[in-house]
Amino acid sequence: MAINLSNSNVATRENRIGSITGYVGTLKDLATKSECGTLKGCSRCFSQSSTCLSSCALGQLCGIRDIALIHHGPAGCSVAAAGAYYMAKVMSKKRGVTSNTIYVGTDMNENDTIFGSTNALRNVILEVNKRYSPKAIFVSSSCATGIIGEDIDSIVDEVRDEVGVPIVAVHCEGFKSRIWATGFDISDHAVLQSIVQPPREGVKTNKINFKNFFESARPEIIEMFKNFDLDPVFLYCNSTVEELSHISESLATTCICGTLGNYLGNALEEKYGVPYVRSINQCGIVGFETWLREIGRVTGRSEPIEKYIQEQRAIYLPQIEEIKKQLEGKTAVLGMGPGYTFEVSRVLNELGIKVVWALAWHYDKKYENGDVPPSMKYLLDTDIDFEASVADQQNFEVMNILHKYQPDMYLSRHPGSTVWAIKNGTPAIYVADEYMIFGYKHTLEFAKTVLDAINNRSFEENLAKRTKLPYTDWWYQQNVDKFLEETK
Amino acid sequence: MSNVTEFPKGGCVLAGINSVLSAIDRVCPIFHSGPGCCMQTTASDAGQSGHKSSCFVSAVSIPSSNMLEKEVVFGGTNKLRTTIQGAVDIIDADAYFVLTGCTAGIIGDDIASVTNEFFEKGIPVYPIETPGFTGDSNLGYETVWNTFLDKVIEKDVPKDDKLVNIFGIIPYHDPFWSGTLEEIDRILSRLGLKVNTFFTKGQGIETIRKSSGAALNIIVNPWLFKGPAAKYESKFGVPSLRIPGLFVGATDTTKFVRKVAEELHLDKDLVEKVIADEEKYVYSYLGQAIGVLSWKRFAVVADANNAVGFTRYLANDYSFTPVLVIISEPIFRPEDKETIIKEIENLEYARPPKVLFLSDQYEINQAIREEEEEITLLVGSSNDREVALEKDIQFILGAFPMSERLIFNRTYAGYRGSLTFTEDIYDNN
Repeated sequence: MAINLSNSNVATRENRIGSITGYVGTLKDLATKSECGTLKGCSRCFSQSSTCLSSCALGQLCGIRDIALIHHGPAGCSVAAAGAYYMAKVMSKKRGVTSNTIYVGTDMNENDTIFGSTNALRNVILEVNKRYSPKAIFVSSSCATGIIGEDIDSIVDEVRDEVGVPIVAVHCEGFKSRIWATGFDISDHAVLQSIVQPPREGVKTNKINFKNFFESARPEIIEMFKNFDLDPVFLYCNSTVEELSHISESLATTCICGTLGNYLGNALEEKYGVPYVRSINQCGIVGFETWLREIGRVTGRSEPIEKYIQEQRAIYLPQIEEIKKQLEGKTAVLGMGPGYTFEVSRVLNELGIKVVWALAWHYDKKYENGDVPPSMKYLLDTDIDFEASVADQQNFEVMNILHKYQPDMYLSRHPGSTVWAIKNGTPAIYVADEYMIFGYKHTLEFAKTVLDAINNRSFEENLAKRTKLPYTDWWYQQNVDKFLEETK
Repeated sequence: MSNVTEFPKGGCVLAGINSVLSAIDRVCPIFHSGPGCCMQTTASDAGQSGHKSSCFVSAVSIPSSNMLEKEVVFGGTNKLRTTIQGAVDIIDADAYFVLTGCTAGIIGDDIASVTNEFFEKGIPVYPIETPGFTGDSNLGYETVWNTFLDKVIEKDVPKDDKLVNIFGIIPYHDPFWSGTLEEIDRILSRLGLKVNTFFTKGQGIETIRKSSGAALNIIVNPWLFKGPAAKYESKFGVPSLRIPGLFVGATDTTKFVRKVAEELHLDKDLVEKVIADEEKYVYSYLGQAIGVLSWKRFAVVADANNAVGFTRYLANDYSFTPVLVIISEPIFRPEDKETIIKEIENLEYARPPKVLFLSDQYEINQAIREEEEEITLLVGSSNDREVALEKDIQFILGAFPMSERLIFNRTYAGYRGSLTFTEDIYDNN
């Protein structure tokens, strides 16, 4: 699919890559249907809270150092993202760099929804530029500005010369897409549109773009890549505008999560010929090795990478095998974004844990280049199958499944989701850090964490005994697809 | 009007409404809004207020119609109807309230007629038609009580001259809300009163329905809750006593006790006995740690209620010198500002500090940076830590937004809370 950087609007994942949020069946059925193009998502006539794509988009952007983010909308929309901003501050502190990134709300009120506020927005942009002298300015819309039709693009165009730094409109109307990961694409699009420059002539580099969330494994990845003469550029947390302007010169782009990195990776490949590493991700043994080998192939570094793999295998595989004995036959349910669900399912299988049900919050039928996501393809090719659903973070569906299957553990990358599993008495593992299962070392640590979680269930069991969950008995007796209906 | 607000503190009106409803046992909010509003509002209040979240339903378990482009164009009432039906089917709640997001508000969905369909069938589903853009979390607190007053609270409830209702402390917005309500409850219970906090002790919608039987509303806040208080009086004959700021420490808490006792004509001997007992308790501890804390010149950045309490305790009870007080929540009415200034300036012992009303973090930082008098202690929110570090001022995290503390039942309010506050100043959290 061609990426159009001349327009500030990004098509939603539903429209671009056929993503869905409602499905109940099996992994095989889901993958087969997406491969032959017959997969049709369902919608829900009853739903619980989903998530706003603006949190994903603006959360990503405010990780960039020394920029200004202007959220044009009612105060409530801006406040939530302050959490993401706070996180970014902590991350810069952790790395020992400073970030003067600023998050500003325009505090839109009832009058503004009636009479519009484009003039005021112009003044806000100029005032922010004067106060903070940011290196770039992102101006975001909200549901309210979207519905009343505020023309943010025109304002941005009008003030561009005056502000003198990259400035771009970021279209974040929450009602635009039922897939919050569209927000990741929106942030990539804004960065590509306003900051990334074509490669400078004659620049030789050993850099590799590494799209991740919070760069928590930064030092060890830098160390590892030194073995292959590669220098990772971590995006966007703690990135500088200067760094971002040159990511078109890198040898390749890779990412920690296909959902997060897919748009940027494909766009850099399509626009500037930077190869995008398409493989299963770095979780677990097979994932790590496949990913490293693909980097080796794309960047012409297969030999040192093969050597590294053999050294590391010798250290870690025996230890992982040892722990595996205690995990063999345990059962798991997991609920995560699709960039992790089908990767973590593979790792659990490697560790001898039986996945009884996997929920992906959404599902991308095909990635930007038209292929089925690699993690799905791997599971299919290896003949692994289990019950699966696409569940838009719907807690009542998770609880229905946990209640029926009573698994030994529930794994999620979303804290709100593990809360309810724990109240149900199910040991839950919050796979918060994106590097929690990265490579041999963290796969071993992950296996130990799982073992700890299922061996000591004191809190889960004691809490569950004293907690009454809000769900009715009626609901627990229904099929999980009770509220799904064919999309009209 | 749109203006520049660096790191706005507190969410929209929806965030306030969600916070209040979440704190009532067995009450289920239903969002009629875009897919993100529930998570955003949860993140903006509960998410930045000491890391507690509701026991009954919260965040991902709250029903939401998740309005998309289709609903924006064609209206969302059909989606709302099936969302309410589903909520009633799967969530075993005592009452359901439909909240209105900006989207539903702007396109003008008729929410009340949909909730009526359920209400007529005997299912307690109530509409709250106040879209997000109409105000902030504080307004949300008042909006919920106005809804209760209009639709939930019963008339002709027998009066109980020992029953009081407590207002002015916003759950999941004030990080210390549960501890503060528990301390107020503890003190008033010692006076022989029955206390409706509404948000602790598992009190639920039934307590709210019968709250018209109270002898007195006690509003612990300098400015909030004027509208609902007037309505309580006119519709249900419940008078109000306003305590114009949180009481921290023996002096102000005793003043609070005497005011309540006077209003309700409580037995004087009992009241004096309780006061003597509580004051002795506080001072017996303070007397055991004399000289442990060094003397401070302090600044406070907080919402009006807590700012009054912190300033008065440190200046009036603990001999510290107040320099600067910044009220960081938006206060609109000039008369409210006057009340707040009066409470902060009217100190028995210390010379009054400078009082500013600023909610833009840029201006807050500037004011602290440019303060000419020396400041050696700053009590503020997570947002204010940075400027304290920059100026090398001791910092106490004591106000919303609060990201680096877990707060269960901790409070700085009342007799016992003042001891916790003093401990924390030593611990330098």
